Amino acid sequence: MPRYAMIIDAKKCVGCYACQVACQMQNELGPENAYIRFEDRETGKYPNPKYVMVPLQCQHCQDAPCVPVCPTTASHKDKNGLTMVDKDKCMGCRRCVPACPYNARTYLKDEGIVQACNMCLSLVKQGEEPACVSTCLTKARYFGDLDNPKGEFAKQLAKAKQLRPDFGTKPTLLYII
Amino acid sequence: MWANKFPRRTFLKATAATAAAVGAGDVFSLGEWMKQASAAPVTKIPSLCETCSAACGMWVHVKNGRIWKVTGQKDHGQSKGKLCARGHAGIAQAYHKDRITHPMKRVGENDFVPITWEQAYSEIAAKLKKVLQEHGPDKVFFSHNPRPTNAFYWPRLMAAVGSSTIQSHHSMCSTGRDVAYKWTTGGMATADLGNTKYIVFLGRNYVEGLSPSSAAGMEAAYAKGTNIIVVDPRHSNACLFATEWVPIRPGTDLALLLAVANVLIAENLYDKEFVDEWCVGFDEFKKGMKDYTPEWASSVTDIPAATIYAIARGLGKNRPASCIEQGYKAPNGCNYANGTQMFRMVACVNALLGNYGKAGGMKFGNPPKLGSLDAKKHPAPPKPKAKRCDGVGIKGEFPLCQPNQGIVHMMPQRALEGKAKAGFLYRINVARNAPQPELLTKGYKALDLFVVCDIKWSESAMCAHYVLPECSAAEREDLPTVVGAAVTMRTAAIDVVHSETKPLPEIVTELAGHMGLGKYFNFTREDVAAAMVKPLGVTLEDLRTKGTVKVKAPAAKPLGFNTKSKKIEMYCQAFADHGYKPVPEWEPPYAKADKNSFVLIHGKQGFLSHTTSISDPYLLAVAKRGDLERLWINADRAKKMGIRDGDLVEVSSPQATRKVRVKVTERVHPEAAYLPAGYGRFAPFLKTGVGYGINPNDFTPCRAEAISGHAMMMEVTVTIRKVGE
Repeated sequence: MPRYAMIIDAKKCVGCYACQVACQMQNELGPENAYIRFEDRETGKYPNPKYVMVPLQCQHCQDAPCVPVCPTTASHKDKNGLTMVDKDKCMGCRRCVPACPYNARTYLKDEGIVQACNMCLSLVKQGEEPACVSTCLTKARYFGDLDNPKGEFAKQLAKAKQLRPDFGTKPTLLYII
Repeated sequence: MWANKFPRRTFLKATAATAAAVGAGDVFSLGEWMKQASAAPVTKIPSLCETCSAACGMWVHVKNGRIWKVTGQKDHGQSKGKLCARGHAGIAQAYHKDRITHPMKRVGENDFVPITWEQAYSEIAAKLKKVLQEHGPDKVFFSHNPRPTNAFYWPRLMAAVGSSTIQSHHSMCSTGRDVAYKWTTGGMATADLGNTKYIVFLGRNYVEGLSPSSAAGMEAAYAKGTNIIVVDPRHSNACLFATEWVPIRPGTDLALLLAVANVLIAENLYDKEFVDEWCVGFDEFKKGMKDYTPEWASSVTDIPAATIYAIARGLGKNRPASCIEQGYKAPNGCNYANGTQMFRMVACVNALLGNYGKAGGMKFGNPPKLGSLDAKKHPAPPKPKAKRCDGVGIKGEFPLCQPNQGIVHMMPQRALEGKAKAGFLYRINVARNAPQPELLTKGYKALDLFVVCDIKWSESAMCAHYVLPECSAAEREDLPTVVGAAVTMRTAAIDVVHSETKPLPEIVTELAGHMGLGKYFNFTREDVAAAMVKPLGVTLEDLRTKGTVKVKAPAAKPLGFNTKSKKIEMYCQAFADHGYKPVPEWEPPYAKADKNSFVLIHGKQGFLSHTTSISDPYLLAVAKRGDLERLWINADRAKKMGIRDGDLVEVSSPQATRKVRVKVTERVHPEAAYLPAGYGRFAPFLKTGVGYGINPNDFTPCRAEAISGHAMMMEVTVTIRKVGE
């Protein structure tokens, strides 16, 4: 069984928001709901500033804190190692929202449920890449299987690290920053 | 259609037909219905994005007769399989709340009534005939952003009417550049980024003023170690792929180029053989550059002299695989008073590098040639002899400006002066996107007849006597176009959403009929499209199934320059003849900051194309989530002024005072305040994006630069004071 993961090279992210909107369209979200969000950081002094934009979304943690707090088992780890929310089981209590240290869960008001990045599993099952990966203009995102890494994903894997490992949740989303 | 009343991205995505089909079955539960709706088959239909000039090839994924999402076409040279945020969001314009749904007639201030097409055509035709009788065709103009379908239909109608004044949006875009290249190299060559070793970007920002391929190209060039120098008052996101950011005082790029030329000549780093063979006027040029030392330019540009030497030597040592990128709007296509001469210098420095036609230098395009209608069966109207009403081509006004571009933003002023009486505007929004909106709206309203054809309401449409609604990109098939060595075409992905909207070819053909000019439109759009692709061996069916079809690239042309002398005119005789400097000289910009003021610069953000995008609900939400409408001020200056990140400030020029929040940053030159350009919509009929952010055009007077007539959109200084936290 593959363990799906993503690597994000933040050094290549130009902050164009293509991934965010592509994700909204793929997942049929309204304008106010997004599974991908951004944090940016500026360091250094004029005229030598440095700037980095970091796309954030569900980190698909191995010890996902959103799972044990869910009273209905809607939040769960699936067989591919992904952290998913079962729409039919979610009652919209939103306990998982503050439990996520990456602030990656989104409450969909119209549906009364919580959702987050689902790694575009429906696309992946058809042999395609997640929408954010396939549309990334500068190829800052790599999708692959941790148990069977191939191609660019495998190449980048050595450099990629967990974001904020101090949270202790063991993310499977990895970053190059 | 009741389905259109639902917001597009609700999870219930089904048309009336699907609902009825499910409802007629044995089981009807909401859950079952949802399951069937989301599992509905998806069809993929080729289209072209319409959110910016790149017009990327895309696949529209349609489910239950409604657009679900879009993906990029791999064979299209602009998208190369990818789409940006604007592309993903923009296709939903079909369902936008701000659509113009009927032909409308203005009956009072911000007061329109729907009318029939028949009434619209007859009244427009009658009023236009009256203007033609009273003033002749000299005072009739047409303005648009030339895209394949409108570039065929509207000019043909205007020619039939007898008007010569056809204008594009370029005087608010790249006219300074285009006029300069026309008279220097006979046309624009573009940088061969993939093969260059050393490239200087002047203001131009491939990752925010982007197409997917331009952003990808910059990333790839950087990844393989190309020297990329980004000269810009702002540390734009393009600097992520720059080996060096060189901050420059706004509007002084011309001085930098003069000094680069000075060093290339003084240190004998230029390509003497190329200059001897391909340039005229080098001796005068050399003489002209003599005093422009890097030390002098340093005081003008605020760039250290050592950096200027390093840039000149970097270019010189890597030639011919080195270049100054050709530019666009930034820094000078329409931004500063010295704009045209600045781009003449870009062309001349590239000539010194001998890089034209060379790998890694500047290359001229060589697109496959499309066919045209059989002129015997479908006679075109004669070329109009009328005098232009925007001063283009007229001695003493703008004799050297491009007639195919014109000076679009000055038409309201011309209307107030009585020099223009009737105008047609197609899908550009001059009243918001050119300087001094109060003057622009007043001027358009002063016309005897003003007709706007558009998809959504706009500031310009609010000024029109008649507004004609076109259907959106997803709802129509257009004329084909070439992109690289391929031909591509937008095809209709969904049925027309609002039954009273029409595709442009119908509108123009029917209006021509009412004008008694139907004989010039005795064909259908399909006839034109088929004639266009025929010489390339492509059929419309090919395009309807594949979207983009590769064709044989034309044989490479030998190097040549389409100027009068057939060479690069370092000394330009035409400029001399009309009283302009034949060799570029330093001219300061009008706007200069002092210790109390800033030059107000602007630029694009990657998720917005001008102000049209901020009326998209998804893109507006992107901006709001990130507070991206803020004005950038240099951290040191902000500190001195007691301004902190996020504070509310009042920005004032003699023309306007507006309030906006501030982003305090190390990423901008101390003398520049950067305002992202896509905000500040004010059309009362718009429901999305109105009143969010402010627009640089509010502060800037409406003027025309002396040579090419562009709008000088960054020639303004503002004062800034804190008014809230």
